[in-house]
Order: sequence, then C-alpha cells, then structure tokens
Amino acid sequence: MMRVCHLNTCPVGIATQDPKLRAKFTGKPEFVEAFFRFVAEEVREHMAQLGVRTMDELIGRSDLLDVRPAVDHWKARGLDFSAILYRPQVGPEVAIRRVVEQDHGLDKSLDMTTLLPLCREALERREPVDIRLPIRNVNRTVGTILGSELTRRHGPDGLPDDTIRIHFTGSAGQSFGAFVPRGITLTLEGDANDYVGKGLSGGKLVVYPPREATFVAEENILVGNVVLYGATGGEAYFRGVAGERFAVRNSGALAVVEGVGDHGCEYMTGGRVVVIGQSGRNFAAGMSGGIAYVLDPTGDFKRRCNPGMVDLEPLVDPEDVLLVKDLLSRHIRYTQSPVAARLLVSWEETQGSFVKIMPRDYKRVLQAIKKAEESGLSVDEAVMASAHN
Amino acid sequence: MGKITGFIEFKREAPKRRPVAERVHDWQEVYLPFEADKLQKQGARCMDCGIPFCHQGCPLGNLIPDWNDLVYRDRWREAIDRLHATNNFPEWTGRLCPAPCEGSCVLGINDDPVTIKQVEVGIIEHAFDEGWVTAESPAIRTGKKVAVVGSGPAGLAAAEQLNRAGHLGTVFEKADRVGGLLRYGIPEFKMEKRFLTRRLALMEASGILFKTGAEVGVTVPVRTLRDEFDAIVLAGGAEWPRNLQIPGRELGGIHFAMDYLTLQNRRCEGDPVPNADFITAEGKHVVIIGGGDTGADCLGTVHRQGARSVTQFEILPRPPAERDVGSNPWPLWPNIFRVSSAHEEGGAREYSINTTHFSGEAGRVTTLHAARVEMVREGGRVGFKDILGTEHAMEAELVLLAMGFLGPRREGLLTDLGVKLTERGNVWRDASWMTSVPGVFAAGDMQRGQSLIVWAIAEGRSAARGVDLYLMGKSDLPAPLS
Repeated sequence: MMRVCHLNTCPVGIATQDPKLRAKFTGKPEFVEAFFRFVAEEVREHMAQLGVRTMDELIGRSDLLDVRPAVDHWKARGLDFSAILYRPQVGPEVAIRRVVEQDHGLDKSLDMTTLLPLCREALERREPVDIRLPIRNVNRTVGTILGSELTRRHGPDGLPDDTIRIHFTGSAGQSFGAFVPRGITLTLEGDANDYVGKGLSGGKLVVYPPREATFVAEENILVGNVVLYGATGGEAYFRGVAGERFAVRNSGALAVVEGVGDHGCEYMTGGRVVVIGQSGRNFAAGMSGGIAYVLDPTGDFKRRCNPGMVDLEPLVDPEDVLLVKDLLSRHIRYTQSPVAARLLVSWEETQGSFVKIMPRDYKRVLQAIKKAEESGLSVDEAVMASAHN
Repeated sequence: MGKITGFIEFKREAPKRRPVAERVHDWQEVYLPFEADKLQKQGARCMDCGIPFCHQGCPLGNLIPDWNDLVYRDRWREAIDRLHATNNFPEWTGRLCPAPCEGSCVLGINDDPVTIKQVEVGIIEHAFDEGWVTAESPAIRTGKKVAVVGSGPAGLAAAEQLNRAGHLGTVFEKADRVGGLLRYGIPEFKMEKRFLTRRLALMEASGILFKTGAEVGVTVPVRTLRDEFDAIVLAGGAEWPRNLQIPGRELGGIHFAMDYLTLQNRRCEGDPVPNADFITAEGKHVVIIGGGDTGADCLGTVHRQGARSVTQFEILPRPPAERDVGSNPWPLWPNIFRVSSAHEEGGAREYSINTTHFSGEAGRVTTLHAARVEMVREGGRVGFKDILGTEHAMEAELVLLAMGFLGPRREGLLTDLGVKLTERGNVWRDASWMTSVPGVFAAGDMQRGQSLIVWAIAEGRSAARGVDLYLMGKSDLPAPLS
C-alpha cells in the first residue's frame, strides 16, 4: 500500500525500525487469516460463476478471462493481446498442467551419495574429517545438503572452523558451496560455474586453478557470475577473476578475489570485499553497507564505480590496513597467490594503490554507534537518529 | 513525494476561523488566509502512498499526492496544471467539499490526515493571483451545438468540457443568475460569490453562452431545444425537498431551507428583497430540522440575522467524537461529531429527536412539539420510534426544513421530454450517460440524487464525454466515472 519499505518511514509500523513508528503497529495474525479467507471466498465465487469446481479445471482456460476491461483501458489502447491469450487446440494426450511429480534427483546428488556418508563422524561426533574428491560440472549445489544436515544437528552456529575439510579437483557445477555453514571448508582446485557461495552462511570457500595450469590465474575467469550472492557470513578466497555481480547483496561474508566483472558489490549491506585486480563498471551501485577495498594502480577505478551511495577514500585507517593485510595473508595461505604475495612484499608502495569504497549512510551509522558507545548512550537510539539525517 | 519524514515532523494545521464575535456581524468567508509556507509544510505531510487511497475517496480522481508534492517543492505552476487536469473548479471544491479524500487519507489510519482540501484551494488561489488561470477557447469548433439545462456545478463542468471538445454550449438557467445551488443555496460565509462570478467570466470569455431566466419546459419549450441543439444535457439538480407531513405544517413561519437561504443570498447579491417577501430569523426562536450541511448553512444564516435562539434537530443519534473502528473503519467516510463554523457560532444541537406536530396562533407557528426517538432496525431498514414520556414543546417562530431532497422536480422539463425515471425518481441513464431519449443526457443530482459538489463535477465531466462520443463517434475527454 505505501511502498516505502526501504525508507524506514512505514506509517503503520510494519516495515520500519523506528520505535516510534513501530509503536503504531496494530496488526493481528487473525487479520492475515481473515484476509486469506476473503481471498479464497472470492476465488470460489468467481469459480462458481464460471461453473468450475477445481483449480485444475481453470489452468490454461484463457477463454474464461474477461479481458475487455483491460484491453479497453486507455493505457492499453492499440495493444493486441491475442498471441498471449491464444489457446492451442490440443488433444487430451497433451498435458497443460502438472501430471507427474517432479524429480530433482536429490538422492543422486554428490551430497547424498558421497558427502553425507563420508562426513558422518563429523556430523555425529564433531570429529574432524578431511576428504579428497573429484568433481564435475554435473555436480550442482555441492555442500548444501551437507550444510543443512550440519545446521539441523548443531544449530545455526555450526561447528568449529575447518571441522569438515573437503578438497575437490575438477570443474564444479552451479552453486558450489551454496549456503554452507561454519565448520565446513570447501577447497576447489579447478574452476566453478555461477553462484559459488550463494547465501554463504559461515563456511569457508577456497578456489584456485589446477597446479599444473599454464595460464595466468589473475587474467582468467575462475568462478562464474553472481558469486556470494546474498552471503551472510563466512570467508571466500578466489585465486583468479570472478564474473559479473560479485558479492551482490552480501551482508556479512569476507572475500578476496583477483578481479571482478560488472556490478560488483551491488546492493551490498555488510561484510568486507578485497579486489586485487581489474573491476568492471557500476561497482557499488546501491551499496548501503559493508566496505570494499579495491586495488586501483591505474587510478581509473573512479570512472567505473557508481558513486550514488558511496564515497571513495584512500586506505589509511590503521584498522582498515590491518584487515586488508590480514585477508591478503590468508589468501596467500589458502591459494598461494603470487599476486597477493607481491602486494604484501611491497606494501609501502601498494597501500597507496588501494581505494576504500565506503557507503555514506553506513559510515554515518558507524560513527553514531562509535560516538554513542564512547558517551555511554543507547546505540539503538543513536542509529535511529542517524538514519533520518 | 512531499518530504519523506514530513508526516513525522509536522502536525496537521488548518487555517483559523475569524473570531465568532466578529464574523457573525458580516457575510464574508469565515476562514483567515493560510500562509504559503504553512501550506507547503502541510503538503510535505503527504506520504505519496503506493496506492493513494485519497484517489478512491475523490470521485474526480484528483491527483492529490502529485500536487501535494509540487506545493511542497514550490512548483505551483505545475501544481495547478495537475489540479485542473481533473477538476474544473478547484476554488469551489476547495471551499465547499467535505473532503472525502481526507477521510480516506492513509495518514488518517493513526494520525490526522493531510489537509488536502486546503492545499487544493491554496493552489488555485495562488494560480489566480499569478494570472495563470485564463479563458481557454477551443482551437477547433465542431459546429455542434449542445444545450445544458441547469447551471450548478454539474452543468457548468459539462459545459466547460464540451467547450474544450469544440462544441458550442449554451447553458440554460431558470434563475436570474448563473450558478444553481452555488449561487442561491450556498451562503456567502461559506463561499463568497465573487469566486463564482470570477470563474463564470472566464467561461463566458471562452465561448460558452449563458441564458438566465430561461426555464426549460416553462419559458423555453422543450421542442425549441430539440430543434436547435444536437444534444441536451440535463443537469437540473434534485430540487424536490423532503417535506414533514405532520399536523400544523400549514402554519406560517415553516419554510423549506432552500427558500430561506435563497432570499438571504439575494440580499447578499444586492437585490432589493422587500421585507414582506423576506424570511428572517431576526428576534425569533428558530428551529432547524435536519442536522446536515444544509441545516448548518441555515444555522450560520440564522446567527447572522440575529435570532433570539436557535436549535438544530437531528433524528439520528449524536455521532461519536472519534470514528468507531469496528463499524466505521478507515477508509470509510468518518461518521463523527463535527463542529462546522456555524456550530461554533452558537445554537443548540439536539439528537435523537423527532418533531411530532406544530401549533400556533393566528395562522403562524409558535410552538414545536417533539419527542425523543430510538432507532429501530427492521430487517435491513432503519426506522425511528418515539419514546413514551419524552414529549415536550418548545417555542418556535421560524422553522426551517433541511431534511434532504427526494429527487428532481418532474413536472415540465422531465415530463415534456418523456425521459425514463429510476425507481427512486431520478433520471435514468445508460453507460454513456444518455437518458432513454436519444441525444438527451443527464448529469449531477438530477440522475444521481442529492450529493456532493465533487460528484456533480465528476458527473458533468463524464456526461460531457458521453455527449462528445455521441456527436463525434470518438472522444478525448476524460471521464472520471463510468
């Protein structure tokens, strides 16, 4: 109704963090129940008018649609909907709705056939396991069912880091390491498709090219598009370049990557991202939180960054420097990256080549929190006050 | 979208009324001017809702969030263009409309709604001050002639829309001045007639013809209209007042509200109405029967004429101070106890009361006999029953009947044309606003029954589109109603 859910000004206290506005919330669960009852009743009335008893009978019946009011609307003048509303004449042998159960083949997945049995001791007795396995691109969402099983047994905090260590060799299919929780470390020697670490929830992902590869890792795509989409926690180290939309909607994961495509860190709200190679255009669009550190030796990153919500700052704050150096050290440890090693060796020179991408609102809130903590005031109130400035 | 946090920062503020002691001695409007910067803050309170419920409150489809925002941003020229896009006469609605838009304003769920009506009148007066409101003559004349019968808001809206489409409109008005209820029904203190006259001058300059003293079906034969015009729009209003058929009704001093208000409005216009023909409340005990807006118009007029006492009767119970969210939830029109300017000026308000009969001396009413009533529901109908033992009498030398209207007057125009009527006695019309007689259309109270000025304008606009379609086979005129 309001469509201001993103502005913190919901006047009936639903989509807002402002305690004053939240106090106006008067909703009750019964209202939702009543709403759906009314919807169902209205649907039944329409169906009764049409002489139809079940939803199945309605599927595909575009002939039952009363399209005149929509087609005659002045905004739709001149539009021809006949192709969209066309109803093919087919015999009963052609199904127009679901008639067989879908089979996602989950029981044949690598997780079900291999990972769960191999990790049983870790899942049941929290004992460390270390596994080496080949992987192919038909293996999708590897580690996700394992992760869900771990969470189901040990809760959202997972297990101690690196309890389950799996080393894969080959090309991973889509969504490698999606949603894996703390306690799981997946290392991939090879490359991966799109969605690596989607929704990463505390686990650790390491990807580097085969040791025998002759190409230059930092000049080649290692992981596909939309890597770390919506990640909420965990770490990821990529010894190579990622595709488009790296770490979009990341809200808590730490990541090091040696180059990204377009729209990096778009809509990011938390976490830290270090890019030690080329970045594509529209970096940080809609980025409202978290911090990115991008290597910019040629000084032209500014042109490819979307400045709508972020400021570009030099890397000088000792806390930031410490963090970047720490992440680079870990990147070296996990991937043996010579790029990161060179940067650390000549840190005096490279520090000046880093740009810190800082969301303006995030900075204001961080400062408000810091100030409130120093003066012993309520952090919540300070955040709320700063949000409306 | 106004100011994002405007509704949190600013409280609702409406213009103040002039002091009662001052205003009851004159006929000028009761509201003081409202400063532009204050108005901008009120515009800033608009939340630009994804689904603006004010739109469903306003029959005109006024683009309310758009111009609230433009006022906040000091972009008045665009604001008047957006306002005029849906409303021909915002200077009238901004003064006279009870503002159902505000009743359905989303902010009204848990706060005071945006002062939409005030923003509306602020925009149009700003535009007049700047000289932005000018006569608009159509670029092309179609050669078609349309007669509009009745010059109230419905007829005037239809006439202006038809003129924009290039048709030559002639407005027939039975009274001596144009404006219908706006002219002789609405008291000066609610809207000074100069605002009516100002707009009418522009309409005349844009090519619309007005014929006053022309009562179609009486002084102008219906046949003449049929012969000389390509189409006719009936916008004669709902002039048939509800009567109170009880013993003593025939006594002198008992009048319909509209007869009473008309005479005072004539004097305000400067007409020499002799005392013998005038109805005055001066020095009298007055009872107004009917608790609605017309009753309040009578009340304000009675105060200004200097009555000894005045009491307003309403048969319904007194509404609550705040809306009852159970039976009367947002976004319904809030049924609450309202204090209009006339109520603020004095007089008693009696609820749940029914007049049983009148008695008098020498043919004139002196006493009104009343009883308390309770509301009884039989099936879906609401009725009233006198409560035994509550009968009482009160002095009444002037009684004004403001009990609503039953529909259009039938004799003359409607009977001569032979248009079909609805069960309620209003003029029947089809989806294109045409009556049962081809080429004859109907708009406003005449087909809807008594209603608000915004409905009248919306009706006039919609009927104009029907006429345009009938004459030309196509129309670019907008129709707010279907």
